[in-house]
Amino acid sequence: MGIKRFHYARDVEEALSLLAAYEGRGALLAGGVDLARGLAPEVEGLIDVTTAGLAGISADGGGLRVGATTTLEAIRRSQEAQGYLGGFLAKVMGHVATLPLRNMATLGGAVVSAHPWADIPTALVALGAEAVWQNEELTEKASVEELYRRPFRAIFRRALLTEVRFPAWDGAFAFEKVARNAGDIALINCACGLGLDGEGKIAWARVAIGATPHRAKRLTAVEDFLTDEAPSEELWAEAAHKMKTEVEVGDDMRASAEWRRSAAAAIVRRALDRAAKGVTGDA
Amino acid sequence: MLKIYFELNGEPMYVEIKPGEMLLDLLRRLGMKSVKEGCRTGECGACTVLLDGKPVRSCLTFAAKIKGHRVTTLEGLGSPANPHPLQEAFLETGAVQCGFCTPGMILVAYDLLSRNPDPTPEEVREAITGNLCRCTGYVKIVEAVLLAAKRRREGVWR
Repeated sequence: MGIKRFHYARDVEEALSLLAAYEGRGALLAGGVDLARGLAPEVEGLIDVTTAGLAGISADGGGLRVGATTTLEAIRRSQEAQGYLGGFLAKVMGHVATLPLRNMATLGGAVVSAHPWADIPTALVALGAEAVWQNEELTEKASVEELYRRPFRAIFRRALLTEVRFPAWDGAFAFEKVARNAGDIALINCACGLGLDGEGKIAWARVAIGATPHRAKRLTAVEDFLTDEAPSEELWAEAAHKMKTEVEVGDDMRASAEWRRSAAAAIVRRALDRAAKGVTGDA
Repeated sequence: MLKIYFELNGEPMYVEIKPGEMLLDLLRRLGMKSVKEGCRTGECGACTVLLDGKPVRSCLTFAAKIKGHRVTTLEGLGSPANPHPLQEAFLETGAVQCGFCTPGMILVAYDLLSRNPDPTPEEVREAITGNLCRCTGYVKIVEAVLLAAKRRREGVWR
């Protein structure tokens, strides 16, 4: 079959009209990193959405808005992203792949591809990031966590992700990843966030773990365990133990379930410690 | 077929491409043989080129996407008769063995030095993380980039 036509979508409406007209034989193209590696044989038309004016980063109160076709490297270097949560999101981007791929890959692509081993979904689930998408009839939004519970692959066969919104948090987050080398995909990753109340106790906790080898999930049992407790080395150790018993892990070609269970506990302990130091300014 | 305008190594180009053609194939078709096909999955870095000055993988870039943009390959930096200071540094330090990774290495190094004129060895290693070399063990490549950086600071550059 092969690609017969290439379209430069000038706006979201054009991209969606073309996508509908192809009746399953068209594909939306952003950075192309995933698409070019796994192009379905039935695809005849490519619809470039990087020309649709969706790239951009803006501060939104204490939060952040990132257009879907913003590249990962643009986020890493942006002043707005560096000003959000002490640069947490910008730093996460630095853990993803290598510079030439980060110059191509987009945030929207990372959300839609949703690789189970990917780092970005883990950070987005922890942050409570909200995805905004449009289909031919309406605009919808949901947290990335909620989106992944829905049949999101089917949703994005006829919709375009347009923006990701990051809420304001009064606290700090930390990301941890174990990989075989700096540019490699995660064997396990996690993102943890903490906020303290006036008495120095944990007011809220967010704990997400990914590459287990399943897609990123929050561990609410660990979050609940931490809430209302006073931060300490001992508490992180107990939370790590809780993680070890609660986390769902599996084997794959990269790592065993047993190794992942131990590693999950170790990186959550580290991430909680770093997040707590981020809140108190000791980081 | 699709006709696109773009700038290749500073020269205007108007070419006919297939809608699904990859930039790697277009550039080699246009005689830019410094652009190497390694893995075709974006992992090895041998096909790296600069798109509007930023390194990207030409094996995963659809050629149609470069319409109206600037592409730089190693041919745009220097030639055997007039090598670029980075190429000279690679030759002098013995950073080239089989040479397959060298074009990609030099282009990411060029990008690094344009952003960071005085990198540490660690920063050089980080910059070339996505470019695989199976011959040198990377030590000489890092030396070459640091030598070129020193010369750049001394004004030997273009």
